[in-house]
Amino acid sequence: MKKVTKGFAPLVALALVAAACGGDDAADEPADAPAAADEPADEPAAADEPADEPADEPADEPADEPAEEPAEEPAELLFDYGVSDDTIRVGMNADLSGPFASLVSQIVEGQEVYWEMVNEMGGVAGREVELVILDNAYDVPTHLANYEEMRVEDESGVVFFTESTGSPHTAATVDMLAEDNLLAIPLTWYSGWADPDLGANVVEINANYCIESMNGVEYLADTFDAETIAIVSLAGEYGQDGASGAKLAAEALGLEIVYDGEGAIAGGDQTPIVTELVAAQPDIVWMTTTPTTFAEIFGGSVAQGLQAQWSGNNPTYSYLLLNTALADALSAYYTQSGYTALWGQNDSEGMALVVSEMQKRRPDAIFSDSYIRGFLEAMTAHQILEAAADAGDISRAGILEAFQSAEIDFMGLAPNQTWSGDPNDYIVRETYLYDIDASNFTPDATVSDNDGGTGNVLVAGPYAGSAAEAYVWDGPCFVAG
Amino acid sequence: MFRRPNLYTSYETETQVLPTFTKKVIAVFAVIALFLMPFDFPIISGPTELPILRSIPLIGDGLPFFRFLGDAAWLRYMSDAMIIVIAALGLNILTGMAGQVSLGHAFFLGVGAYTGAFLGGHATDSVYGHGLPMWIWLPGAGVGAALVGIIVSPVAVRLRGLYLAIVTLGLVFLGIHMGNTDWGRKFAGDPSLGRSFPEMDVRVWKEETPLVSISEKGSWFGVEMSSNQKEFLFVAVVMLVFIFFAVNIKRTRTGRALQAIRDRDIAAEVMGVAEFKYKLIAFATSSFFAGVAGALYASHIGKMPAAQFNLILSIEFIAILLIGGAGTVAGTIMGSFFVILLPELVKDFSDWLADRAEGEGIVATVSEVILSGNQGDFGPISTATQTPNYPLSIYDLNIVLYGVLIIVFLIFEPLGLYGIWVKVRNYWKRWPFSY
Repeated sequence: MKKVTKGFAPLVALALVAAACGGDDAADEPADAPAAADEPADEPAAADEPADEPADEPADEPADEPAEEPAEEPAELLFDYGVSDDTIRVGMNADLSGPFASLVSQIVEGQEVYWEMVNEMGGVAGREVELVILDNAYDVPTHLANYEEMRVEDESGVVFFTESTGSPHTAATVDMLAEDNLLAIPLTWYSGWADPDLGANVVEINANYCIESMNGVEYLADTFDAETIAIVSLAGEYGQDGASGAKLAAEALGLEIVYDGEGAIAGGDQTPIVTELVAAQPDIVWMTTTPTTFAEIFGGSVAQGLQAQWSGNNPTYSYLLLNTALADALSAYYTQSGYTALWGQNDSEGMALVVSEMQKRRPDAIFSDSYIRGFLEAMTAHQILEAAADAGDISRAGILEAFQSAEIDFMGLAPNQTWSGDPNDYIVRETYLYDIDASNFTPDATVSDNDGGTGNVLVAGPYAGSAAEAYVWDGPCFVAG
Repeated sequence: MFRRPNLYTSYETETQVLPTFTKKVIAVFAVIALFLMPFDFPIISGPTELPILRSIPLIGDGLPFFRFLGDAAWLRYMSDAMIIVIAALGLNILTGMAGQVSLGHAFFLGVGAYTGAFLGGHATDSVYGHGLPMWIWLPGAGVGAALVGIIVSPVAVRLRGLYLAIVTLGLVFLGIHMGNTDWGRKFAGDPSLGRSFPEMDVRVWKEETPLVSISEKGSWFGVEMSSNQKEFLFVAVVMLVFIFFAVNIKRTRTGRALQAIRDRDIAAEVMGVAEFKYKLIAFATSSFFAGVAGALYASHIGKMPAAQFNLILSIEFIAILLIGGAGTVAGTIMGSFFVILLPELVKDFSDWLADRAEGEGIVATVSEVILSGNQGDFGPISTATQTPNYPLSIYDLNIVLYGVLIIVFLIFEPLGLYGIWVKVRNYWKRWPFSY
């Protein structure tokens, strides 16, 4: 017995080291949260302001949401689970402590700010919206257990999941969502969610990876007169969906694929891919991966003298890479692609709303584009709930029905969206493209700094290329197997 | 009724599954408690209404440990833990009993899960599946994994200790890689979305409505039950069968042979123990346990990618054996529950503490010291939603706890939780003369 346990010590040490080396997603959020000493969200700031609020709000408001409140007849309203006479509970099954915590917690914060605003204006159907936030730690079993806690069929359940972090996690709940008539907004943009078999209860916001790739490739090809392309991606739903879109665009535009690395990123060593890329000498490179592996491949190729223009699906790139030695190369060779307008990059009503609400309610929050995603998710849920309330039914089934005919107005933050009819009529074909300018990056800024920036400068968007316009959806761009 | 401890008058009594009266009583109560657990009892589940308990400051408003039973989320964790018990018992046979260190246990769980999915899952355009009933796919998953174990076992005859660990470590990476190949995806589905696994339903053959439905809510013997309660009970029965099997192995010729190999393989062979044969048996049995557990685990989760059967899972099993006590069935069971439920307890407990940070009294002070709710707060564990990773998130804390516990147990209590239990038991056995 003694022998056995003794032998374990080095083994366990070895195993832990090996686990660290094999590390995947955990390392993918580059050194985030630069440990600013700010205090978040002090309430007094909000308490100071109620006086000028009525004057302020209607000015930058879309006007339609608050205006509807008085017309409600709460007595007539049908509801079942997650709703009581004075509250509506909305759930978030979010990664707050796992590998994507820094991104997701900012999305959660954006949502909190949005719902605080909604509640201040009278809530939904005369009820206050209560956010139920559970941490899934990016772990499937935990995600499912959290789901159990929120699906409960009484007042302590929820009516909607305004955030469901993780593709495998959301996919694991798809059957239960259907069974419970619950909707979930995932943090993924897989083209397969438009498939009713997979995503009837999944509310995918914005364009998908596949279309994003088509637009990105077409924009680069047009702007830089490219003739050849290299495609590099992770294996799986994210990577290969993106790579499939890039291939469809290359075919439509007559680009020659000089290196096809679809699904090539597998292990920890990216040197073979760098070698292939440098040998192939493409005009443009399209990548679908994570910021860490992107930095390795991009840095390696640039160091070996590859002069190509690069872009990739969101989140291949992270503006935090501008903190690294790659900043100059990124400014010169990278074009950032995204699904939405980024902070301060257009002068829409929605942008003014995000900026003013964040500055008012979280003046010390770290500067980031992720709050916009939080707003988009909350706006979607809010407008669907309002539509359901207008129809007099905020039961789970009623909300599902409202979703099927809802039209979401993002107030210029992203292309408006609906999910009714044939996927070809409603899938979003516009994305946004940004030039990288390292001098516009302010690592220590808070949302209150009006000249804060993440290094992104809008160059096109909402942009839909000819390939994306002509694309006919007849199933996901990529299915495994 | 009460005999002198450690006095056995015949070989039969000494080798009983439950040799003492106390053990019999404990076993009976444990089984009863296990089967009552999924049902809601007002006293123990959730904030209690009982005035007496209400007046106790900590328990009254729902100390996390006390909202254990009947809670849907906790039932899921308990079912996970019981499935992990089955797999850990398998590793205990291989590592604890036969001394063959394996870091590849997650691989065998994966083989079981995908054998189960191949046999019992439903075919789509992209994945295989034959829709066979559970009485085929569940044992089939075990047999599939056992066959792979047999293929691997000759390596164990040539290698020992650290070298064997490296080889089995390789299996885990090999498995994840195979799941990513075009061929492997026919079994495993999309590398990040995964495939659907068969449901725990009892069918005679492929009929539409199952004979007994475990995965759908409904009534059993007049009691309305959720799918979680049903799955919990089913998994509990399977676990008990495997526990019985694992306890029994130790009492057989095979069990004694395995222990002889563990203590000194050359000496065992000199005494006539066929090393090759018994190592093969150890690998096959261990993999069989892992395969069944893997199929149950996959079915319980419903849909998951192959990458879930990774090295971290293998390390969890090593942690279970070390923390629980290698070589003992009771220790393995304790270790499984401890390791699987610990993260949830830590999380619930931190949430509970955080809720009380604003108040007064001891709890609030403790919470103030340990937790940091805002940036710049004092306290090593972060519960803030903003910048949650700083200084140490609960997720990171759990990983640190594994490491610390493994080290602490290796140094101070090599027999694990089981060793602690033995010490406590001996203390009371000799009380009041326990010095």
